[in-house]
Amino acid sequence: VGFQKILTLTYVDKLIDDVHKEFRDKYRNEFQQKGTLGLLNGTFDFKDDFMRLLRDAEESSKVRAPTVMKTFEQSLKSQKTVKCMIETRGEKPKEKVKNKKNKGSKKEGTEAVAAPGKASAGDKQPPATGDREELTKDEILQKNREEFFKRHMKAGEKSRSPKPEAQKEKGKKPRVWDLGNSNAKVLDYSNSATNGSAEACPVEEFDPDTALGDRNREPGRLYDLEYESDDEAEEEKVIQNPSKPSAKKGGLGGMFGMLKGLVGSKSLTREDMDPVLEKMKDHLIAKNVAAEIAVQLCESVAKKLEGKVMGTFTTVTSTVKQALQEALVQILQPQRRVDVLRDVMDAQRHRRPYVVTFCGVNGVGKSTNLAKISFWLIENGFSVLIAACDTFRAGAVEQLRTHTRRLNALHPPESHGGRTMVQLYEKGYGKDAAGIAMEAISYGRWKTGGGRGCFGGMILLNVAFSSSPARNQGFDVVLVDTAGRMQDNAPLMTALAKLIAVNAPDLVLFVGEALVGNEAVDQLVKFNKALADHSMAQTPRLIDGIVLTKFDTIDDKVGAAISMTYITSKPIVFVGTGQTYCDLRSLNAKAVVAALMKA
Amino acid sequence: QLLTGKFRDTQTSITDSSAVYRVRNDKSASVTLIDLPGHESLRLQFLERFKAAARAIVFVVDSVAFQREVKDVAEFLYQVLVDNTVLKNAPALLIACNKQDVTMAKSAKLIQQQLEKELNTLRVTHSAAPTSLDGSATGGPAQLGKKGKDFDFSQLPMKVEFVECSARGSKGEEGDADFEGLEKWLAKIA
Repeated sequence: VGFQKILTLTYVDKLIDDVHKEFRDKYRNEFQQKGTLGLLNGTFDFKDDFMRLLRDAEESSKVRAPTVMKTFEQSLKSQKTVKCMIETRGEKPKEKVKNKKNKGSKKEGTEAVAAPGKASAGDKQPPATGDREELTKDEILQKNREEFFKRHMKAGEKSRSPKPEAQKEKGKKPRVWDLGNSNAKVLDYSNSATNGSAEACPVEEFDPDTALGDRNREPGRLYDLEYESDDEAEEEKVIQNPSKPSAKKGGLGGMFGMLKGLVGSKSLTREDMDPVLEKMKDHLIAKNVAAEIAVQLCESVAKKLEGKVMGTFTTVTSTVKQALQEALVQILQPQRRVDVLRDVMDAQRHRRPYVVTFCGVNGVGKSTNLAKISFWLIENGFSVLIAACDTFRAGAVEQLRTHTRRLNALHPPESHGGRTMVQLYEKGYGKDAAGIAMEAISYGRWKTGGGRGCFGGMILLNVAFSSSPARNQGFDVVLVDTAGRMQDNAPLMTALAKLIAVNAPDLVLFVGEALVGNEAVDQLVKFNKALADHSMAQTPRLIDGIVLTKFDTIDDKVGAAISMTYITSKPIVFVGTGQTYCDLRSLNAKAVVAALMKA
Repeated sequence: QLLTGKFRDTQTSITDSSAVYRVRNDKSASVTLIDLPGHESLRLQFLERFKAAARAIVFVVDSVAFQREVKDVAEFLYQVLVDNTVLKNAPALLIACNKQDVTMAKSAKLIQQQLEKELNTLRVTHSAAPTSLDGSATGGPAQLGKKGKDFDFSQLPMKVEFVECSARGSKGEEGDADFEGLEKWLAKIA
């Protein structure tokens, strides 16, 4: 039953329903009267019943065996005359005269009724058509062939005219722009000698105030976004709603009807919920939830609420809203919280760096958020190595270098015991990203003092004790920045999958922007699929968490969060809310759901 | 076990189950016991529903698998402890170290020490996490225990006790379970 995709059993649904009903009916007393004690104490001798139901279900599925094909005589086609199937243009289609060759067919009954009606008209025709059948078959073939050729001749004449035009297109010429020679050399403004080297990068005046944006803060503590919750406004609306529709009903019967609707305990049916769910679905889509996910959500809420008995003074709308809210909170709250700091501490204890990889499509904010996360990690006292595996985009390495400089200016080595908190590992442009990542990780690994093999212990120990700088070379975290790529670009997706499979990072973060709509579904599905397909291991490394960026650009259209977590069922680890280093938040499920449900 | 006195085979729960339990003490009071499912996707949901009504909380720990699951156990316990409703009501908390009949089970003392250590680290990592989108900070006002010192269960506003118990009983399935500690505590609460 669980593996429906491998082996579909057609009777499963019916069987489950039957078992459910039978069990409930048989042990109804135990449940209703004794409650939990009934469950615990009662003996449920259901095996025989279950086997019986299973046998019935299996047999019923076998009854509908492959149907025997009808013979030609039985089919309708043999009953029509061949003549009536010919369409001659310009003539009205003739009435279908039933052929009486097939005596055993059921159609005779109906034909007998129709035949007398046409008997007078078609008196002479049946014998005549019977003769003509054999003759006309060959004639029909010939006629068809003639028509076929006629049609083709006409088409052939038409097709000759476009041919001469096609010849003009050959030989594409390079486009000439107005502003002079379009040479690649002229357009290259970079100084070839300084591609990726440290010295040529201009050191700008670094102003800490503009970088941080908010000087009045405790180091290490990041403040929250003010979020107003219009709870009171919502409640008023809900209370008013039940009174409005009932006020419209007139008359005495209407009065009682209204009271009954408010007080009585009726169970919810599909029809009651449908209009409400439609509205909710449109509301969700208006809030930027992907369309198919909104549909699935409403479906699941409908299934859950079907047949539920409503309490007093609750309307259908409020019940549905409540259920939807619960479902949304459940989606956004991860099963197992991704606690980055805790895992970094663990890795620290094992003396190896914690590797985080950022992946996503172009322009979502990977490098910016990487810088924010490294700032947050430094504030908490961990040293960071940034691996510049974006070897494609112009200026990617320089961007990361600038961030490194600023971060080091904010947290100079002196205030952290002589340790450089941030370092950049890069190898310029055009190189293989997976190779750079691997080198960066081994560079960031804790090295034992001076040892390059297993030489004698004593001398090495002495060297180690004199606290050589090589011993502190290890970094706590390695952040790997990859190039942005579209999800349907197969070679690039393969390259990314290879990077992740080969380097086995501790955390794979998918960076997605909050502005994305239905695309989110496609992006995540394809990214996960690529990672799963190209991994050699038994359990492939998939996306472990989501970073939701550009959250400050959407007011309350926060649906992208729902779409992304629904597809991957992985938590949203960070939320990016701006371009300064302090704009990093964590997700609060209740606040997001409140914003979503707000009218 | 408490209700029927016998050992029953159970399945993983999907929903809560509750019943009234008559406590064996002089007053012969009765309490309603509510059992919440422990599956990781459900546990928070059910905790939300019932936390306001709780007069006392029994946190059951698997003493055998504890070593492996320390982080998960501590994470869930942390979430129970910093919850605003729980802090306001401060219900009595009993940490029942179950499955003591298995030889590899850890003792209550050891579990207490490990949990204290883990919770100590957790409150640092949780308070250092980026603050959430709306007003309520994740760990800010709900600081577990005292700031300067290492975390200790005595620093909590509620009474915490550790007890060893075994639902199966040391004599196998037929024997009675030994959880006198649990029953005594229940009697005290009632």
